[in-house]
Parts: sequence; C-alpha cells; structure tokens
Amino acid sequence: MKAQTKTYNLLRKTSTNFLLMSAGLMVFTASALYIYTRDLLNEEIEEELYSQVAFIEENLKKGTKLSPIQPVMDIQRVENLNPETLKDTLIFDPRQNEVELFKELTISKQINNEIYEIKARTLVIESEDLLLGIIISFLSILALAFIILFFINKSYNKRLWLPFFNSLNKLKNFSLESRQNITFDTSNINEFNELNLQLNTLFKKINADYSSLKQFTENVSHESQTPLAIIQAKIENIINENNINDKQYIELTSIQKDIKRLTQLNKHLILLAKIDNDQFSEKASVNFKHLLQNLKNSFDGISNHSIVLNVNENSFVKMNPHLAEILCNNLLSNAIKYSDDEQPIEVAMTDNILTVSNAGNHPIKNPEKIFDRFYKESGLQKSSGLGLAIVKKICALYDYKISYTFENQRHYFSIAFK
Amino acid sequence: MKILIAEDEIALQHSIQLYLQSDGNVCEVASDFYEAQEKIELYDYDVIILDINLETGSGLDILRIIKKENKKIGVIIISANSSLENKLEGLDLGADDYITKPFHLAELNSRIKAVLRRGKFGGHDTIRFYEISVNTRSRTAYVDDVAINLTRKEYDLLLFFISNQGRVLSKEIIAEHLWGDHSDLLDNFDFIYVHINNLRKKLKDAGSRYIKTAYGSGYKFLAE
Repeated sequence: MKAQTKTYNLLRKTSTNFLLMSAGLMVFTASALYIYTRDLLNEEIEEELYSQVAFIEENLKKGTKLSPIQPVMDIQRVENLNPETLKDTLIFDPRQNEVELFKELTISKQINNEIYEIKARTLVIESEDLLLGIIISFLSILALAFIILFFINKSYNKRLWLPFFNSLNKLKNFSLESRQNITFDTSNINEFNELNLQLNTLFKKINADYSSLKQFTENVSHESQTPLAIIQAKIENIINENNINDKQYIELTSIQKDIKRLTQLNKHLILLAKIDNDQFSEKASVNFKHLLQNLKNSFDGISNHSIVLNVNENSFVKMNPHLAEILCNNLLSNAIKYSDDEQPIEVAMTDNILTVSNAGNHPIKNPEKIFDRFYKESGLQKSSGLGLAIVKKICALYDYKISYTFENQRHYFSIAFK
Repeated sequence: MKILIAEDEIALQHSIQLYLQSDGNVCEVASDFYEAQEKIELYDYDVIILDINLETGSGLDILRIIKKENKKIGVIIISANSSLENKLEGLDLGADDYITKPFHLAELNSRIKAVLRRGKFGGHDTIRFYEISVNTRSRTAYVDDVAINLTRKEYDLLLFFISNQGRVLSKEIIAEHLWGDHSDLLDNFDFIYVHINNLRKKLKDAGSRYIKTAYGSGYKFLAE
C-alpha cells in the first residue's frame, strides 16, 4: 500500500510557513545582533581600560602620588615586568555585599626606575544589561512587525485565493447526473483565469461526452433489439419447420433464454437512459394501494411466496405513474428472487414510507453496493443486476430516501417518499 | 386471412411470413413506407403488422392513413422501442395491439388471432377446435358444449395453445405469454408444469387429449 502523505490546508500552510520563517529570521538576526553588539561593547570596555591605564601611567610619570581605588584601580610595585593580561575576574564588592564580575586589565610598566603593576577594572554587568536591553527591544519590534504582517498576509491570502476556493466549491457540488451547466467565473489573477478557462472547456467536453454516452447506450440497446428479434424468429421457425432432435431443441431453447436475458438487459439500460434524459417528467397522484394490488395479481402463480399487502387506504404519491410501477415492480421482483424458503413477502406502506421485506438467512454482504449497476450479491443468473439500480435512479430523480436493513432474519428495503 | 407485413428488416419479414403462412394465411410484405402505403391503398387486408421505424417513413403515418380512410383492418404495431409514450401513441391512433422487439412468433400469432376476433368478426367470438370451443367474451371453455371450469391462467394457456396449434411451444414461450416480463422471476418451470398438467387433466377428464409433449420439454397442441 502506498504511504499516505500528510496533507495541509493551503492557507494554514502558508501561515505556518510565514510563522516558521519569521521565527527563524528572528533567531538568526537576534543572534547576529547579539554577537556584533557584544563584540562592540567588549571593544569599548577594553579601550576604556587601556585609556584608564594610560592615564594612570601618565600621572605616575609626573610623580603624582596615586593610591588604589578599589575595585576599579590598583597600583602595586613589583619586582619583575610581567606580560600584560586581560581577564574576567570575580571581586567581592563590600558596598553591595556580593561578588561581582569585573573585566581586569593588568599591565606592568617601568616608570622612573620603578616597576609598577597597574590594574584597571570595570563592571561587566553594566554592559551585559545594555546588551540584553538592545536584544529585547529588537526582538519585540521584530515580533510586533511579524505579527502585524502575519494577519495582513493571512487576510490578503484569503482574498487572493478566493477565486480558487470558489471554483473548488463549484467542482465539489458538481454532479454529472443533474445536467447542470457549470461555469467558472473570471478573476483578476491570470493563473486563476487560465485555470477557470481550462475548467470551463473541460466541463463542456465532459457534459457533451456524458450525454453522447447516454445517447450511445440508448441507441445500442435499441438497435440490438431488431437483430435479436430476427434471431428469435428464426429459431422459432427452425424448431417448427424442421425435424430436429431433442438435443438440438435443448440448444435452441437455451439460445432463446439468452436472447431473453439480453432483451431484459437492453430494456433496463434503455429505461435508465430515459430516466437520465428526463423523459418521465409527467407527474400524477399515484394510488399505491391500487398499484400494489395490481402488481400482486400479476405475480400470481409465479412463485410460492405469498405477497402480503398492508397498505394504507390513502397512500398517494405524486410521481410519474410508469416509474411508480417500475419502482414497485423491481422491489417486489427483487424480494421474490432472493427470498429464502416459502415465507411471505411483506409489503407495507404507512406515512409515505414503502417497505418491502423478505426472509433471508444472513444480511447482504455489501449493502453499500447493492444499488450499483451490475452488482450481483449472489451469482444468480436470472438477475440482470439492474433492478435495484433502477430503483435507486428513480429515488434519486425524486430525492426519495432509500434504505436497506436486516432485522429478525428479514431483508427490509424502505423508500421514504416526500 | 390476408395479412400485410410492413417491416424493412427483410430477414424478420421473411421469418414472420414463414410462420404465418404455414397457418394457411396469405401473407404479403412491404419493405418500406411507400410500398406499405401503396398496398394499403390497393388491396384489402385483415391485419397489418406494422413496424414503426420503416426506412422511408413512420409506421404511425401508415396507421393514420388507415384510420383516415376508415379501413377495416386490424393493426398490430411492432417496434424496437419499448417506451410507454410510443406504445400509447400507437394505441391512441387506433392500433389494436403493440408488441416490442424481440418477440416470439407464437406470441405475435396469438395477438393476431385476438385482434381478428375482436375486430372483423365482432359478435362471433367463439373459437373451435374439434369438440373444444372457447367463448372469448365470457372467457369460458366448453368440451362438447359442457363448460369446463378453468382458472384464469389455464384459460389463457388453452387459448394460446389453440391459437398456435401444431406449433412447438417451449416452456419459456408459455411462461412469457402467461407472465410477460415477470417470467424471468420463475426459479424453475414447475409452475408451468402445474398449470399445464391441470389443464391437460381437465381436458382429458372431458375427453380431449390434445396437449402433447414435444422434444421432451416442449408442448404441442395437436389432433392426432
């Protein structure tokens, strides 16, 4: 099986991308700014320390008597000249009663034949506070800018993609069966315009192809009836005009059975095409009590299943009378075909709901497919696989709800008329 | 009987002609609209078998001519179109019956006979086969003028047998005659056996034994 790739909502995806990019950019620029500002500050501090040392040195040369100012300045006489050092050091500040971090420059110089070690110190904390202040204000300005941009972008994107989503909605609601003409509006975005133009062309073609396909089905079905009539008639004449043997008779009648199957198939396909082509637009108030009673009579003697009618006196439905008959006929035929044992077939109609039920051992395996064309639940040969598809088609035409349930070892087919 | 077959499919035309002629009918054929029109104008027929889609025109127009000129002729429309509107249009115009392709010749034959009984010989609605007579108005059958009690299906079956006497009738043809399109619901042909055996028994009890078995599984209504 192919691994399912995760999908995203277009607008959410662009928003997320924007947010991620903003966050990344913020981290990167803030880091750069931090490093740059820190170096700058360090440089400043060093410069200040050097200039402090130079100032002290100058004063020492002049012979000024200098005493150390703790902790920022320290002068000591030493024996040797030591190399210059610059380091961070922790010094206890008695005024604040805590240990503070200082930057310390130590330089030993020979001044007037004496070697002095001069230490200049400065508080690091001060510069760090400054650094932090800069970074925080930078980040807040940036974040604010990004948030404003994010919302502007989002609403703008929404408006920008509107023609796309309009077209998408039209596609979602499109149904070939409803024969509606679908047109996609023009937009001021070239790409969308082009997309809609192509969609318009595509749908014109789809509609044309679909109607010619339907026409084709109907034509093929019609045109094959005449050759079938010829084959049928010839077989009958062969049986009557010639001395054939029993085996030949069986073969010939078997051909007749297949002709009958093909004929039924054709009739059903023609009917489906006609419903598709809206050739049953005429409506009348159909008396289902009469209709079902007549149907029951016409099934008389055809099977062992008795048909039990339980139909309300005033069961009238406004629909095409011919389609009403086909609907009931197909439901009853289906029940007779697939009923187990010799249990009665029950037909009930109350509150505009028609229910046809027959006995069965187990529920239908694929109830979602039972109304599909050419779906056969069992390998029953006599089934054309179109009876229930026609029922569904008729229900779809009038927006009737059709349902299948299995309860108490019985199959129930119900149609809720409106 | 004189019958005109207006059908542009020559093979079908021949087959119908062959079947009906062996019953002693005189069958003429018309292969297109103009030929049918001409023959209708020139000669008298008892029945016309009229295809709706004639190559050069509509069979319905032939029907209009027949009705306009008030000709006493039974009209049976045959059509590849099973649609109801077509059927209703034909019957509204005055056709006596309508049968869709493909059909059994035995069925067509029994429809022709029914049309003939209803039409020209109005009033004379009794058909005879030796000692059997059937009154199609009261739907009763008699053997030697004694009424026999038949169910509706048995009555239909008897009439079908007499209409197609001497022909082999398969169970499928019989089933289709009795139940029409519903006949494909038959699980097996036990139901036909039941009806045929009952009819056979009732006729036999009254002294008639005409229902013969043909090729093991078909039937033939035949005097020895």
